[in-house]
Amino acid sequence: MTPDPAIEARGVRRVFESRKGFLFTEKSRTEALRGVDLRVEPGEIFGLLGPNGAGKTTFTKILSTLLLPTSGEARVLGIDVARNPQAVRPRIGLVLGGERGLYNRISARENLRYFADLFGLPPALRDRRIQEVLDRVGLTEAADRRVEEYSRGMKQKLHLARGILHRPELLFLDEPTIGLDPKSARETRKLIRSLVSDGVTIFLTTHYMFEAEELCQRLAILSKGQIVARDTVAGLRRLVGGDTTVEVEAYGFEDAEIERLRHLPGVGRILSEEFGPRLRLTLRSSSSELTAGAVRSALGTAHPDLMVRERRTVLEDVYLDLVEEEAA
Amino acid sequence: MNVPATPLTISRFRSTAASVRLSVLQFVADPQWLIPSMIAPIIFGIVAYQLVLGSGPYFVVYAILGAGMMSMWGQTLYGSGWATGQDRVFGTLEPTLQAPTPYVYVVLGRILWNVVSGLVGGAIVYVVVVAESGQIPAVVNPLLFVVLFLFVMVTLASVGVILSAFYVYTRFAGFIQNIGEFAFYVGTGCMFPVIFLPWWTNPVSLVFPPTWALDALRYGSIPGYQGFAWGFGWDLVGAVATMTVYLVLAGLVFHRVERHVLEVGTLGDY
Ligand SMILES: Nc1ncnc2c1ncn2[C@@H]1O[C@H](COP(=O)(O)OP(=O)(O)OP(=O)(O)O)[C@@H](O)[C@H]1O
Ligand SMILES: [Mg+2]
Repeated sequence: MTPDPAIEARGVRRVFESRKGFLFTEKSRTEALRGVDLRVEPGEIFGLLGPNGAGKTTFTKILSTLLLPTSGEARVLGIDVARNPQAVRPRIGLVLGGERGLYNRISARENLRYFADLFGLPPALRDRRIQEVLDRVGLTEAADRRVEEYSRGMKQKLHLARGILHRPELLFLDEPTIGLDPKSARETRKLIRSLVSDGVTIFLTTHYMFEAEELCQRLAILSKGQIVARDTVAGLRRLVGGDTTVEVEAYGFEDAEIERLRHLPGVGRILSEEFGPRLRLTLRSSSSELTAGAVRSALGTAHPDLMVRERRTVLEDVYLDLVEEEAA
Repeated sequence: MNVPATPLTISRFRSTAASVRLSVLQFVADPQWLIPSMIAPIIFGIVAYQLVLGSGPYFVVYAILGAGMMSMWGQTLYGSGWATGQDRVFGTLEPTLQAPTPYVYVVLGRILWNVVSGLVGGAIVYVVVVAESGQIPAVVNPLLFVVLFLFVMVTLASVGVILSAFYVYTRFAGFIQNIGEFAFYVGTGCMFPVIFLPWWTNPVSLVFPPTWALDALRYGSIPGYQGFAWGFGWDLVGAVATMTVYLVLAGLVFHRVERHVLEVGTLGDY
């Protein structure tokens, strides 16, 4: 028997209807998710990327039983989240993060103790487990201070600690490193990796491409409520036309010049972007023969102000390509 | 998968106890609570005593009842719904509902705590009025008085449970509670016996369990009290009956309300 996928979403749609204006007479309707299909296997770290308002939090909340889909089906650990949220809850952890969501007037330890009881951690295990997660996120020293004295990053760590307190099989992390300084963010990523080696499946959302690239085996990119790409990091890079990126910048280019660039080795797509009077062309190529030198010689000496930069395609590029293509 | 499975056992008792504990910790952490729980009863006691001074042989009992109800009412009923409103403000409603414990046990814990702090308020009023009047009030049956006092609180708590559900349902609950507060306070006879209100308001008053319980309390503690014509015994029956309806309703409503907020997606609103 093959194990159930950790997450399986089919055609998940979510519409928000809200009222606003004077006496709430105006109705507004937002379609946050427009039919999302997704499958996450047990034991992997899956990343969901997308710009602000793409629907990442909405999707995370649906999977973690805080929101019902308007239509479609979502199964978590083989259980339909809309039909049987109660069976899903003890087996998953959710970290929404942010400044809110904690009892600020009491200590971190007391916050954890409260939620440990609500999650049904046996009393014999409870205090030991609380200490364990405090150590793990690095909050032991501050554990008995009131949360209102915490910095944003410390609160984020406490959110994380609460998420893993009951040892969930599947952990949802909505932007886990937001508000953390580089060192804490790195520690958090390390923690996430260590959870995976314990066998936890992780579903995370992020704005940071490098974070997704560093952590995730597979990624999906969400844009305006739809998945626009879904692949491994390498696969996504191929999707947008290769490993090499060359950026060319000058005060405008002739059509003929762009045509010449298009015929350089391996060039797939050329994106153009204006910076004031200057124009930047971004070339993606699957071939390592595309070098800054090759681009310079293709353009000749027409541009005394020419700037050429060659680099590896990073996920950031892939992401921008996909999201921008979607936007156009 | 090699996650060492933790045997999670959701215990209603432990969840309720955790909620009581949280309430106590938050109370201790925040000195502003001293005002409604300690200072207000003292003021209520002083004012009520002055108001009823010399009005008949049982004015001391009237003062205790009036002021006691006032402080208990605020603590028990208002506090219960309000705590859920606070969960919205803190953003803790989402993680709390995401936990496997049904939210109603969290509410139950808060109500238990509110009943205790309401009782403390009642006791303070008692001490203040006794000190001021220099006499131990002539209560028909002190034991019955205490039991009925507790009973009133329980009926108030039953309304509190419904109110909490309302706070989960919408973030506008606080607004609506503030409007309805005074009507409820007068309508249930917290301030003065319902019998003094226009007759046509009585059917509305009788919908609320505390109305019956308060009338019973007055019958039980003030000799010659003229309340509802059906008297003490039926007051008790009415209180228990309406309260049962409330609790059954709460059981049904909570489940639906939790579902409803997942549908409309307003759990995070504040
Ligand atoms: N409770 C709600 N009521 C109405 N609209 C909502 C609600 N929650 C989200 N939306 C809308 O749904 C869309 C998706 O929001 P969501 O928070 O899921 O995006 P996101 O990808 O998490 O964005 P961010 O990166 O900014 O966190 C947005 O247009 C948002 O305004
Ligand atoms: Mg978000």
